[in-house]
Amino acid sequence: RPHSCPRHPGARTMLPLLLLLLLATAHGLNTIQYTPTLASSSLGGLITASTFTLEQPRCVFPEDPSNAVIWLVVAVPEAVPTFNDSVEPGSPERAFQRFPSSAPAYMTLNTTLLNYPCPKRPGDITVLRVGSETRCTKDDSRPTCNGPLPGPGPYRVKFISLNGSVPVAQTFWSEPITLRTAKPLGDIPATGSGHSASMIALTSILSILFAILLAGLVAMLAFWGSDTYGGSSTFSKPEAVTVRRYNTHHVYDQPAARL
Amino acid sequence: MAKSDDGIRILQGLLVFGNVVIGMCGIALTAECIFFVSDPHGLYPLLEATENDDIYAAAWIGIFVGFALFALSILGIIGVIKSNRTLLLVYIILMLITYAFEMASCITAATHRDFLTPNLFLKQMLERYQNSETENNNDNLMAERVMETWNKLMLQNQCCGVQGPSDWQEYTSAFRSTHSDADFPWPRNCCVLDARGSPVNLDGCKLGVQGYYNSNGCYDAISGPMNTYAWGVAWFGFAILCWTFCVLLGTMFYWSRIEY
Repeated sequence: RPHSCPRHPGARTMLPLLLLLLLATAHGLNTIQYTPTLASSSLGGLITASTFTLEQPRCVFPEDPSNAVIWLVVAVPEAVPTFNDSVEPGSPERAFQRFPSSAPAYMTLNTTLLNYPCPKRPGDITVLRVGSETRCTKDDSRPTCNGPLPGPGPYRVKFISLNGSVPVAQTFWSEPITLRTAKPLGDIPATGSGHSASMIALTSILSILFAILLAGLVAMLAFWGSDTYGGSSTFSKPEAVTVRRYNTHHVYDQPAARL
Repeated sequence: MAKSDDGIRILQGLLVFGNVVIGMCGIALTAECIFFVSDPHGLYPLLEATENDDIYAAAWIGIFVGFALFALSILGIIGVIKSNRTLLLVYIILMLITYAFEMASCITAATHRDFLTPNLFLKQMLERYQNSETENNNDNLMAERVMETWNKLMLQNQCCGVQGPSDWQEYTSAFRSTHSDADFPWPRNCCVLDARGSPVNLDGCKLGVQGYYNSNGCYDAISGPMNTYAWGVAWFGFAILCWTFCVLLGTMFYWSRIEY
């Protein structure tokens, strides 16, 4: 016998486990402590009915290997627990055009680390708009299309870094992102807000004044019949008065008769 | 007798003065209503599309009432100076008719101002902006005018939608049925445009970055002029009517004191 080292009874199961662990680390899928988040809420178009905007993963992935390609994975939440990292992007299982009916996730927005320089320049808007490419939505030859999302979701995303076709690093899965749903047009109430106080005041005051005037008119016409109303306080129109000079000629004749 | 004579003279003087003021106010009312009807802000198509353009009807009535007030005030002055019962009776009756019309104009303007809520314009904008499928020719012309008005509004006032660009996101619309949400979260006219009419930064506009798109709503730009029109017609008319009320009462009293 070569050696008679006593073996632990559970060593038989330990070995395959150890081998598996070795395989995993040889696979090299490093999980980075980063959760993809939506961009700043000051953006008006942060979440629309078919797009959403994420913060770029700056200063997240390690420099090495420098030629790794970083992909964005978009998945329905049900596919997250059973997600297989080694499926290649662009394969039918990960085609945008089949999402979400026959492909529970798709991969898109591939770029090298050069496009995510670290550190981030202050004042730069570093965002990724998911859903902005509308031309390749139905084009089956572009399975990595960044097309508009087909429904309001929710969706979960993560970033994954591939060296060739081997996944190297990944981030955490994001929180579920739900998109907007437009309310139907008919929901807008079309009735007015009722009458304002000023309008009611205006209407009532004018009506009262008009009523008083009509009453005055009626009173006036009633008095028209009686011309002799209020003797002392009426006034006459100024009439043209002619004055005749009354000449008494026989007064001049008198002194002539005495003499 | 002399005292009563003096009193009558004073009343005559006051009535002449009152009529002069009515004449001038009539001209001012005509001028103001002509200004409103000429629609310097170009908002009439919006009201026409909501079938709520009675404020303009009130302004039209105001034009004619203003002329009538001017003419009647001259008649009134002549009647008071000549102390002619017939003239004054004609004056009073015609003035009452004019009063009734002006009352109608004021009340119409004030009531219809209350109908102009943000929801009214929102619904109309969502239904008609960029609506290429219309029922009949009349609608098509109206839809085109509505679109032109909105485009002009958005360009001149740097605004978008009624309450903001989110109007286009929150509700379905005719625009949304012809333009995809990813390419056009809101119409192109909501973007900040350069001198040639193309967006300064299209991606910035689609993202909603401040400075590349108009984030204010257009409601203020609509309701401001509308309020001016409505209150201009309604309250100026109300002031004229209150003054006319006093003058008419005085004239009725004067008339009853003339001995035939």
